[in-house]
Amino acid sequence: MTLFILRSLGSRARTAISEFSYERSRRSRLSTKPNVREEGLKSETDIETYLDPLKHPDYFKVHELFTISDLFEARVHYGHKIGSLNEYMKPYIFGSRQDHLIFDLDITARHLRQALNFTAHIAYQGGIILFISRNAQMAHTVETTALDCKEFAHTRYWRGGIFTNSQCIFGATTRLPDLCIFLNTLNNILTQHTAVVEAAKMNIPSVGIVDTNCNPLLLTYPVPGNDDTPCAIELYCKLFKEAILRGKEHRQKDIDQ
Amino acid sequence: MSLKNIIFTRLRNFAPASIYCYDCVLLKHHFSTVSDSKKADSEEKLSGFAKSLLKFSESNDTPQTKTFASLLRNSKFIDLGDPKNKIVEGTIYHIVNDDLYIDFGWKFHCVCPRPAKRGTEYVRGATVKLRVNDLELSSRFLGATKDLTLLEADCTLLGIVNSPARQ
Repeated sequence: MTLFILRSLGSRARTAISEFSYERSRRSRLSTKPNVREEGLKSETDIETYLDPLKHPDYFKVHELFTISDLFEARVHYGHKIGSLNEYMKPYIFGSRQDHLIFDLDITARHLRQALNFTAHIAYQGGIILFISRNAQMAHTVETTALDCKEFAHTRYWRGGIFTNSQCIFGATTRLPDLCIFLNTLNNILTQHTAVVEAAKMNIPSVGIVDTNCNPLLLTYPVPGNDDTPCAIELYCKLFKEAILRGKEHRQKDIDQ
Repeated sequence: MSLKNIIFTRLRNFAPASIYCYDCVLLKHHFSTVSDSKKADSEEKLSGFAKSLLKFSESNDTPQTKTFASLLRNSKFIDLGDPKNKIVEGTIYHIVNDDLYIDFGWKFHCVCPRPAKRGTEYVRGATVKLRVNDLELSSRFLGATKDLTLLEADCTLLGIVNSPARQ
């Protein structure tokens, strides 16, 4: 009908009216909520969207848990030699010094922040978290970390099919973890941990510390960094534990309200 | 004024500490003479070189840059250069019979046999001097595509620096 009216008018009037109707229809397509930045939080719905944990970039403030200096002091930037480099790890490498590879801690920090944020959100939603590591030296550290944040750890031989064939192995329908945190993704130098593949098959998100000889492809949130030095693994354990505890603390606060 | 500022900052960054101190001493001398002559003024109005020198001497000395690149550039690892035959200091953190597991600040530890001389002083927590042979024992074997690592460094034990067993 508007088209008929437009045709019957002169060209100048037509352009004016068409611009006006275009403006109005454009405005009607825009949100009716006031712009938060300019007008501030006016309605209750605005406050809810702003404080929605999923919409906030860092609801649990996990970005404040570490600095690049902390990573540097924990020797997170040391990699293996060039000869054992996995080609998929090349984007995360800063360079090599006398054939020893060095991780770019700016990239590592970015990935670690994402991983910690995700971990905190999973803990906030009441998810089960499983710490996995096949480093015999750090098995006790990983297990105590899991104990401290009341989550789970598996640092022994991984029997194939624990996720994919859980009904058969455990004898009943089992609730699988909602997140797997790999403190190292290799069983030994030659083979990747079976749980990486199993978690990917069962759609379980995984966070993993990947060294220069590891394959980061099957992990949801790979964190490039050193996975051999005890002080580096202790730092990761501390950070993940803190992120999980923060998520749980917020969950408890919301339940109490 | 601006040119003096630039010269001063350059001197401060690259000149040895003695020159900076010398300038400081000169300035203090200047201040004392000025305050003697004008007893009524508690705060003198500084200008030019004196003003900029005071500003820089009073500023909090924050480390120049804390970027990863600068941390790496100023690290001990880069100072090491070619690790072969370099002397480093390590701490014994684990002992299994006569094998000493020594951590010297690198990604890996090294394992050295207990020496015959002063063997009882090599205990957990002792600091020792090492000569690095290889920072990571890894090599490509025939027919393999990737290196095989032992996840260990190779060092020669030179001697004890400090041992808790001595006291």
